[in-house]
Amino acid sequence: MFSGPSDDVVLLLADPIDMAALVAHVRDDQDGAIVTFDGFVRNESHGRATLYLDYEAYESMALSKMGAIAAEAREKFAIHRIAIAHRVGRLEISETSVFIAVSAPHRAAAFDACRFAIDTLKRTVPIWKKEYFADGAVWADGEMPPVPGMAPAATRTEKPAS
Amino acid sequence: MAATAQTIRVKVLFFGRLKDVVGLSEESRDLADGATIESLFADLAKRNAELARFRPSLVASRNQEFAPWNTPLRAHDEIAFLPPVSGG
Repeated sequence: MFSGPSDDVVLLLADPIDMAALVAHVRDDQDGAIVTFDGFVRNESHGRATLYLDYEAYESMALSKMGAIAAEAREKFAIHRIAIAHRVGRLEISETSVFIAVSAPHRAAAFDACRFAIDTLKRTVPIWKKEYFADGAVWADGEMPPVPGMAPAATRTEKPAS
Repeated sequence: MAATAQTIRVKVLFFGRLKDVVGLSEESRDLADGATIESLFADLAKRNAELARFRPSLVASRNQEFAPWNTPLRAHDEIAFLPPVSGG
């Protein structure tokens, strides 16, 4: 487990996420609220029954971007601690793929920071999901991360290649 | 013509569907000094024409930071071509 100078935790894990441990990590007597986000594998995608998912990450960059999200959340919102964990590899239906826990003295900052963290993660962290169906597999449509010094992309998603 | 053209070696990484298209997850490339991320991609697309059509949907990174396509390359850079991200 990586713990930064501010007690933020960011993790990429091949094994199941210990959600209770992350909640316990962010919880402290000075806080009055914890907000968590539990993202898990749905049993269908665009009407097709999903068998399982396979997540791939550019691990060094993904951890660095997750750490940057934690730092930015701390700058923007009056939170105490934040933990962000994402799975890699094969995930079955209903398994948690991403988990975020945020503690704060008051609930509004915790809600706002948690929402900011998952939205920013989905847009900027280099992780890719391949969806497996009974009749084949596809890389999920995704979002193009904003690149400093470049105009925003005209479209957010690309056509499936195959 | 300079007789001693400098070359630089960079590491190139491919992810997601791009890895399937290229058939590799990483390779080393020797490039002429002055190369950019764009010219590196153009080199790679010469070898694999299918790659070229992905260009509009890709972003690039240099040493784990998102980088514009006109970024000049230096020796030992780690360059990655990243399809739209779909974590979460």
